[in-house]
Amino acid sequence: MPHGIWNGTLSFGLVAVPVRMVSATRDRDVHFHQVDIETGERIAVQRVCEADGQEVPWEDVGRGYDLDGQLVTLTDDELAAASPERTHTIEIEEFVDLAAIDPAQFDHPYFLVPGSESEGTTRAYQLLRDAMASTNQVAIGRVVLRSSEYLVAVRQREDLLLLTTMLFADEMRDADQIEAVPTGSTGQPSRGEVAQAVKLINAMTRDFDPAGYENRYRARLTDLIESKHKTRRKVEPPVEDDAAAAPAPDLMAALKASLERAGRD
Amino acid sequence: LWNGTVAFGEVIFPVKLYSVVQEHRVRFREVHLSDGGRIIHRRVGSESEQEVPNDRIRKAYEISEGNQVVLEDEEIAAARGSNAKVIQIEHFADGGEIDPVYYDRPYLLGAQPGGEHAYRVLLAALEQTGKVGIGRFTLRTREQLVALAPHGEALRLYTMRFADELVPTAELDIPTASRKPSGRELEMAERLVDTLAQEWEPDRYEDRHRDAVMALIEQKASGGEVKVRAAAEPPPTPDLLAALEQSLAAGAGRKRERAPAKGGRGSKVGSGPKAGSGSKVGSGQKAGSGSKARSR
Repeated sequence: MPHGIWNGTLSFGLVAVPVRMVSATRDRDVHFHQVDIETGERIAVQRVCEADGQEVPWEDVGRGYDLDGQLVTLTDDELAAASPERTHTIEIEEFVDLAAIDPAQFDHPYFLVPGSESEGTTRAYQLLRDAMASTNQVAIGRVVLRSSEYLVAVRQREDLLLLTTMLFADEMRDADQIEAVPTGSTGQPSRGEVAQAVKLINAMTRDFDPAGYENRYRARLTDLIESKHKTRRKVEPPVEDDAAAAPAPDLMAALKASLERAGRD
Repeated sequence: LWNGTVAFGEVIFPVKLYSVVQEHRVRFREVHLSDGGRIIHRRVGSESEQEVPNDRIRKAYEISEGNQVVLEDEEIAAARGSNAKVIQIEHFADGGEIDPVYYDRPYLLGAQPGGEHAYRVLLAALEQTGKVGIGRFTLRTREQLVALAPHGEALRLYTMRFADELVPTAELDIPTASRKPSGRELEMAERLVDTLAQEWEPDRYEDRHRDAVMALIEQKASGGEVKVRAAAEPPPTPDLLAALEQSLAAGAGRKRERAPAKGGRGSKVGSGPKAGSGSKVGSGQKAGSGSKARSR
């Protein structure tokens, strides 16, 4: 059974399901480490106290908050006292439609897996999963992870419950806070232009196939490492093509030309 | 954050990129608990433990044990690709087809002077079709897969996760029950879901933990002690069917009316972490406490 980054209980009415949280994403990035080019030695990061220059062991590292110039220190246990219930329990507060949630509010996805192999736990888990699937609803609750509180959405995905941490509404910037978002009479489109753009969009529509996109950055980085490893020669920087293309002077003409081209492809 | 152009077909218009996320979380820094000194990170040789100046530090990739390739930052930059100034839309897809789990970070697009008209044409056409544009562009040093979606009066841009960055569920070895939930259990669970179903109102949720943490900090700053208390975890449900029945009875099958989203909240915050933001949250589960709270 996978290790959880958080173990606790998901509660739904009077039904309590022990669960573990595991990340739903995995890091596929190319990772570098740091080296000292003079000695070839690997670099390590040391935590050092500014007061005496001595290395500080991890157990002796606490959290500090600068309150008007006064540094207040807190331990993890003290922090957990802020919302003790939520550090162990996700209480489902309501169910909502997935489509009603702004996807920008979703932060990190995790899988919730049953916390034990007992029949009671696994059945309660399956029951909640199936009830949400058949009603097409997403459960909303809160949890405290690493001393921060998160709003979370829990839903069925394949055989599992997927939990996504969410931003609070006040952590998101609205479009009306940004002047560069054109509104009112600025650049108002005509019906004919929108109709033409709709045609172009339809002509350029394909199914969304997530596995069909290659991570080209990762591929190029891997190639570059291999080529330097083989040739030992410096990698040439790419020819810069940073000049911004000129905007289309005649929008309608550009839409029509694009549509013709899309039709030919 | 970034200036460039959006290109779809032969339509090209200049845009600016803005971050959507503005965090308000309480930020801590590391301190040395025994003397309250600030902690700094020092880069040292892993064996010599001698501090290494920044200009001697390079990135290296380990091909195999003891065999590494050292790269300069400008060499790594060669991987970024050539479309550094263009968000190139490759195709469009049905917005409803995309599981939100693929969306990673959200951004907002604004128009640069001269781009307003095309911006609004694309926005209106996406809105009308329910579609999103899928494309690529380079943010800082790396090329990202992105989705352009309408949101109110603005175009949103989401960086996207690649499919292989999601853990396949088959790789998680999940215990399953030997007996599936019965039809009766499922039906009752569905009724319970319905009882708790609400319209989604994101503004109803506030980060109350933030206030609680700030209160803790202030308490400690004025010399107060912080009591460490642990909450008991509820025990697993012994009898699933009985728990469902009791939950439904407590909710009494009432479809609760929601109080206005704004106002009437906030003042309740002090009444304990279980109070729930909207009074009705959880009220059905704790018989007796619900009806009073709801009459506001």
